Amino acid sequence: MIKLKHIFLFAVVIAISACKQSSKLDRSIVPAAGPAPAIRIGQYQMATLENGLKLVVVENHKLPRVSYSINLDLDPLMEGPKAGYASMAGDMLMAGTQARSKAQIDESIDFMGASLSSSANGVFGSCLKKHSGEFLSLMSDVLLNPTFPKDEFDKGIKQTLSGLANEKTDPNSMSDKVGNVMKYGKDHPYGEVMTEATVNAITREDLKNYYDTYFRPNVAYLVVVGDITFEEAKAQATQHFGAWKKQPVKEASFKMPSAPDGNRVVFVPLAGAVQSVIDITYSIDLKPGTNDAIVASVLNNILGGSGFQSRLMQNLREDKAYTYGAYSAISADENVGYFSAGASVRNAVTDSAVTEFLFEMQRIVNEPVADSTLQTIKNIMNGNFARSLERPQTVANFALNIEKYKLPKDYYETYLQKLQAVTVADVQAMAKRLIKPSNAYITVVGNREVSEKLSKFAKSGKVEIVNADGTPFVELKPAPEGLTASDVFANHIKAMGGVDALKKVKSYEQKGKMSMGPMALDMNIRVKDSKKFRMTMTMGGQEFMKQIFDGTKGIMSQGPQKMEMDADMIAETKQQMDLLAEMNYEKNGYSGIVKGVDNIDGQALYVIDLKKPDGSFVTEYYNVQSGLKYKSVSVEEEGGESFISETIYKEYAKSGDIMFARKITQIAGPQIIDISVDEMVINPKIDDKDFSIE
Amino acid sequence: MLSDNISAQSIKFVEYDLKNGLHVILHEDHSTPITAVTVMYHVGSKNETTGRSGMAHFFEHLLFEGSENIGRGQYSKYVENAGGALNANTSQDRTFYYELLPSNQLELGLWLESERMLHAKVEMIGIETQREVVKEEKRQRIDNQPYGNLFLETLDHAFDVHPYSWPPIGSMEDLNAAQEIDFKNFYKTFYVPNNAVLSIAGDISIEETKILIDKYFSGIPRGTMEIPRPTQVEPLNKGEVRDTIWGKDQLTMIVQAFHIPAQGTKEFYAVDMLNQLLSQGESSRLNKSLVEEKELALFSGAFTYNTEHPGLTMAFSLANMGADPMLVEQGMTEEFERVKKEMITDKELQKLRNQLENDFVTRNATVAGIAESLANYHMYFGDANLINTEIEKYMAVTKEEIMTAANKYYNKDNRVVLYFMNDPNATQE
Repeated sequence: MIKLKHIFLFAVVIAISACKQSSKLDRSIVPAAGPAPAIRIGQYQMATLENGLKLVVVENHKLPRVSYSINLDLDPLMEGPKAGYASMAGDMLMAGTQARSKAQIDESIDFMGASLSSSANGVFGSCLKKHSGEFLSLMSDVLLNPTFPKDEFDKGIKQTLSGLANEKTDPNSMSDKVGNVMKYGKDHPYGEVMTEATVNAITREDLKNYYDTYFRPNVAYLVVVGDITFEEAKAQATQHFGAWKKQPVKEASFKMPSAPDGNRVVFVPLAGAVQSVIDITYSIDLKPGTNDAIVASVLNNILGGSGFQSRLMQNLREDKAYTYGAYSAISADENVGYFSAGASVRNAVTDSAVTEFLFEMQRIVNEPVADSTLQTIKNIMNGNFARSLERPQTVANFALNIEKYKLPKDYYETYLQKLQAVTVADVQAMAKRLIKPSNAYITVVGNREVSEKLSKFAKSGKVEIVNADGTPFVELKPAPEGLTASDVFANHIKAMGGVDALKKVKSYEQKGKMSMGPMALDMNIRVKDSKKFRMTMTMGGQEFMKQIFDGTKGIMSQGPQKMEMDADMIAETKQQMDLLAEMNYEKNGYSGIVKGVDNIDGQALYVIDLKKPDGSFVTEYYNVQSGLKYKSVSVEEEGGESFISETIYKEYAKSGDIMFARKITQIAGPQIIDISVDEMVINPKIDDKDFSIE
Repeated sequence: MLSDNISAQSIKFVEYDLKNGLHVILHEDHSTPITAVTVMYHVGSKNETTGRSGMAHFFEHLLFEGSENIGRGQYSKYVENAGGALNANTSQDRTFYYELLPSNQLELGLWLESERMLHAKVEMIGIETQREVVKEEKRQRIDNQPYGNLFLETLDHAFDVHPYSWPPIGSMEDLNAAQEIDFKNFYKTFYVPNNAVLSIAGDISIEETKILIDKYFSGIPRGTMEIPRPTQVEPLNKGEVRDTIWGKDQLTMIVQAFHIPAQGTKEFYAVDMLNQLLSQGESSRLNKSLVEEKELALFSGAFTYNTEHPGLTMAFSLANMGADPMLVEQGMTEEFERVKKEMITDKELQKLRNQLENDFVTRNATVAGIAESLANYHMYFGDANLINTEIEKYMAVTKEEIMTAANKYYNKDNRVVLYFMNDPNATQE
């Protein structure tokens, strides 16, 4: 039978093909579509374990693989001065368990050719079906028994800080950051940003607390997709996640942020940028899984959705060629959603591009869209929906949304009907509600020179210049033309008393106090013949710490601990006692560049970027009026941790012919050390024995 | 041979040539009612001449402008109105166009692609508009991105005679210089059926599709011009090239690139697995050593260009704040040296094979991906069935061959070492 049918079909095919070839093809005829194919949505099944873990299973046997994901359904979390700890806790689930080190975890995953990752909101992975038993043992170990090892924590902090440094030249992450700070504000978790300071404040305890509080089965979904049956998945879930202990998780709610009462222009300077990253954004109230969300999605696709037909794409790319791509987004969210429209455009057209964005936003509010436009967009969305079904993960996402947002069970089955029902009037009403061309944050990350032309878009007439984290950008004024770093160093030496006077100081003794938190120490520094150095710290007469350099060798001791100075420390000690250090910078392989004039703590300061012989940088600040050094700032590293180190020199006063700072503050990460110099004796008699290392 | 326990779907397909030389590959899969219609042209940036870099990619943009029967800007309209999506991309070796359509719109896709192949139409206004769009694409993807110049600089330092020395995006000067006549010649030379593969996958009937293909493509004349292919051969072991590139990015990036054989050669598979050993997964050697143990880098990995002619493998490390870049370089070199001296263990070889098996099973998950893979394998190797069998070539690689490959290619004289360092005054205009 079957064969006969084939032969019959074959004959028909030949007949058709012969007939077609005989007439010349009229290429101007657009081919008609065939009958629309039926769109089938895959099914899912659900179960709830005794500990409250909800299991969602989507069977798809096309490929012999299975993916597993644990999704936590949590309210947003306000992290405050420790912003970033939740995501660190999530990352570090895989840094070690009671039974396995990080290296062992990594090795096991890679050996299976599997993937596994973790975040603040869950654990996700996939593997070939034949490895699923072993894979799940590992996944449940990571989920149930993480230990957040100290060394991995330290490493994580260091890498997070390096990552932050890297973001400082990434215009897209800067744009995301400043957009979040602006549209959600400081009082909403979505508006929090991670900075060097917040990262340095995070402790291991914060991570453990986060994990203990929020990683609970009663707020979690286990989504299983792939070559597996529902019964198999249920047995696996019980075996590997049944021991996970439930505990109530507190809920949180936050005030809805409000849109600005007129347009604000927020500019983040990025030196050397050849494009401006424009984002016009504000928060909105739009809940996922609602009819409104579907209308809003149609509206967004007309304005700036993913296709080439959107108005923003046609206007800014295909007509004006300002950009490679212009897009908008309307995001529905249980807590607070957002509108965003943006593009990367060349510097010269930044203001023209903003004009076009605002024009298109205004136009979609004022004018009803054409029926044909609406139909095109429905067709595009219909196609997007159909194509998304190729991936079984889509069905899993649908299931998760239905459960999380308590949607009608047939929400996705009837999605295409609801889409077709959207009218021109619906779209315009939604535009009036959600599109706000006069109540937006217009954020631009780009070259400083393009900012001036943007003031016309601000209600206040002013461009707010900020850093990516929303803090005010301190603008450097240009230094006088021709001023070099050597001039600034020479001025400092002159203000200290001049080269001749400083050269006469062969020896000196400083007495003072040093305080570090609750600890107060007496400090004594002796320098002899410009080459021998000794510093002692005593507490109640008891020696606490000592540092001696005899001209060739040096030691440091603290209590019974004693160590020899290495080459770096010796170089640093020499630098420390050299009263002409700044003048000798160049001779010693330093190079300085005058960046400009800053205003800090009420004084005008020259800012110098100083490159050390080892390639690292220090930023030094010198008082414009007095010439004296005010502070130096650098990024230091110790014991695997990076931190900002700042030394501030205050209260300069004369001893003989020489000026000295009497108050010195050293800030190294969270640690603050205050030094006060109470007495300074020039060229005293100092015994050589003081510098004996033995 | 492929071991028995490697189980994946076998991709079935039919293939044939039209009289005009167009190669056709069809794969039928009814799981989802969508069809990918794709055309791959055997032209990329390596077919460009000096002074016209970026031509192939620029031209790809222009071929969305229209044709004798398709008005300017109507390509995307037809496709999107039909509920489809479309795009294209250009590599060093080929240019690839695709439409993802509901399966009842197959004929539309064929009409659009045949119009593009037969008589595309490019007007001056389109050229000028797309010239600016491509320049914005370059700014957005390269000039304004952290380390955006990484590939460009590495290629430039690595190749002296082969046109792989520039990336597909080209240079601003050359983009500005391109003339209408350049495009006309380019089209006549490369956009001919005998230089293309039509690959279709999805919810189709093979026999009906053949008829439609005949209807739209058989009337397109075979190209008459000789298709130039670069013949330059970049020599191995030219001596170490070393440079520092100053920029505004804060952390130092260290790149070590090595010249390697062309894709598809026996040695290429060994190099690719060596690269996998160095960089796939958290337990890979570069990550384990530089990121986890020595804590010198924020990231350390490697990337191999699969290219038709002998190309490059690039290892790169992003140094942690304050880490000495020379120690990072040294740490990377130690890992290369280790593979040369110590045989990898049986367990490591098994790990590489397991990873390959997983990737092999996973990668044919979409009809668009299948259509592209089939076209690739035919265009470069004349064997579309490699979609099912290429894994055997990997499984045949021995531990000894990996060690031999390391000794042959991962050498000082065969490498480019670049430091991308922070210059506080950099403006990169």
